[in-house]
Amino acid sequence: MQSKDYRLRELFGPSDGRSLIVDTSAGLSLGALAGLERFNEAVSPILPMADGIVTSPGQSRQMSGRKKTDAALLVRGDWTNALRDEGFVLPAEVIQHIPLLSPQHALDLGASALVIHFLLGYEEMIEAECLRMTVQLAIEGSKKAMPLIVDLQPLGPRVVLRSKAIELGVSFALEGGVDGVAIPWPGEESFKTVMTMAAEAPVWVKLTISDSTIEQLRNALDVGAVGPWFNEQLFAQVDPGAFLAKVWDVVHPPSTSAM
Amino acid sequence: MEDGLRVGGKGEKMKNGLDARMDRLFNRYGDGRAVCVAADHGYMCDVTPNVVQLRAILDAVIQGGADGVLLSPGQAMRLANFFRGRDGPALIIRADWMNMPRLGTSNVANAVPQRVLHHRKMITAGQALALGATAITIFLLLGYSDQIEAAGIDSCSRFISECHEVGLPCIIEPLAYGRKVTGANIVEVLTLAARISVELGADALKIPYTGDVGSFRRLVNIANLPLLVLGGARSDDERDALELFAEGLEAGANGCLMGRNVTKSPDPRYLMEQLCGIAHRGWSVERALRGEVWKHLRLKAHPAKCTGCGLCLTTCVAWHESGAYGTHLSRLRIVVGKKEGKHRVMFCTLCGKCLEVCPAEALRWHPETGAVELLVERCSACDACIQVCPTGVILHSDKGIALASGKTLDWYPIVCDLCGGEPECARICPTGAIFAAER
Repeated sequence: MQSKDYRLRELFGPSDGRSLIVDTSAGLSLGALAGLERFNEAVSPILPMADGIVTSPGQSRQMSGRKKTDAALLVRGDWTNALRDEGFVLPAEVIQHIPLLSPQHALDLGASALVIHFLLGYEEMIEAECLRMTVQLAIEGSKKAMPLIVDLQPLGPRVVLRSKAIELGVSFALEGGVDGVAIPWPGEESFKTVMTMAAEAPVWVKLTISDSTIEQLRNALDVGAVGPWFNEQLFAQVDPGAFLAKVWDVVHPPSTSAM
Repeated sequence: MEDGLRVGGKGEKMKNGLDARMDRLFNRYGDGRAVCVAADHGYMCDVTPNVVQLRAILDAVIQGGADGVLLSPGQAMRLANFFRGRDGPALIIRADWMNMPRLGTSNVANAVPQRVLHHRKMITAGQALALGATAITIFLLLGYSDQIEAAGIDSCSRFISECHEVGLPCIIEPLAYGRKVTGANIVEVLTLAARISVELGADALKIPYTGDVGSFRRLVNIANLPLLVLGGARSDDERDALELFAEGLEAGANGCLMGRNVTKSPDPRYLMEQLCGIAHRGWSVERALRGEVWKHLRLKAHPAKCTGCGLCLTTCVAWHESGAYGTHLSRLRIVVGKKEGKHRVMFCTLCGKCLEVCPAEALRWHPETGAVELLVERCSACDACIQVCPTGVILHSDKGIALASGKTLDWYPIVCDLCGGEPECARICPTGAIFAAER
């Protein structure tokens, strides 16, 4: 086992190998997010109900003082304006994507993993730069024992077959050397293809919160997903803690959860 | 760029390292050849079964005897276990990336179509070395635009410099692609790209086959570097890949770096064994396709499959009579039936009656092929063998022959020699009506 595998293991429940991740890092692109205006107050209560929290580099400082049962820290290592839609105060005219952190920086911040976007469906240069960034961070990460997780974003206008685009993004990420991927649900057939490609690399499913979230989550877990990856939408819920507790019981059923 | 003959210091050490890695790749069997598999398609192409099943395919081709495997940097890290140990294949890392396979009409799946060619360096030579690479490979694209060509030359030049600093062989993959490349000039463009790569300092080339032995031999001679031939687009008939490879070797290539023809094969391990047999054991394509060792063989027929096309007759004459046409000197014949499938192909059945009847003992079994062989110096042109042949396939020659004894024969018997061990009629028959079998 490589040394970075030890760090990656911090993101998983020890008895069932599953993982519930909450991503709060979109504020880096979108500013103050609904429900996350006071970051520490919003995130602290849910720390025991997640296996990992993704934060921006700045907000990672709020994550000190975590206990053994609290979520591990993952830190967002890049910035992009691709997440901004047309209604945003400063909508993106030209998509930009820049690296922010190296694996050493992530290590200094106390992170268990580094997370970057992989943007699909934009100009060729964007795609090439995503792949180059993935390769370089994977290589550097191997030296520093810092796992790299890719957050796949098939958002661009050139995405014509979404499920195939997700497969393609996963393929590129794995070829680039990542240690895990977070993907939107591509449909069951495509997800099986993704799982075959990924082999032992963990695959999280990015779920939107709706009435069917729990059912979708069960389907995803049944076909091999390691767990859900929720974004800032969680904190717009009336009671994020209650929702997360329900999800936790699905991801880590009480008979298998470590007490 | 200094040449390799530096005396002492870092230059000498780096040259030693470079030579050692070239040997690791090309000299596993001491023959200067390498049979390698390109498994980097997931890096640049849409997701296809050979991308999804990469690990299983890699296991199969390594068991089949691959000398080297080309992977992306990420897969090189992920699949590092496959390359450990003295028997493990050499690892070649794809150090750059481009989106050509997904451009326009070349993108079959069209998951995320690309409009403009983009080519990018991904890792450094030092990083490749740290990942355990024996060599790296990078593209040199000619024919798309002047800017892409210039950028490619700049990139290759810098890469070669980096590689030689750390003793890592740099394999350039020249490609002819773009609006400036036509069917008429593609061979010239490839030859140009090969030469440019040499002038830049490449240690080896990975290049598409030009289509015929003559033009490829010219390219090999102009390059004068170890050269691995690409397999090209996938063919359903595995004979195509084997023949391409055999022709490449005949023209002077040092091996192959085949991708889809191997990774999409129904049996990648077996195909790899066949390629290694051709490269390292001197097998012919027919021997490779047979898959087993025969000491002697014979011709056999499926009478119902014969359509009377006559290809076997034509090819027999062409093979024996230096490319002549016409079938009167064919060592086999077809008895034409009135209906399709009722033809009968008559050939030498190795019955031995001609040997028995020859009063001069001028006919014998060839010691290597087992076919009938005429010892013409003993022949008296008595006609006995022609009369006795039950299938009527021993012929009178068109011309006479002057013997060493001073005697002259007005004619001599022409017998089937099984084409020296690989009968052409069996190879060319489109329906398998005539085939070779172990004797």
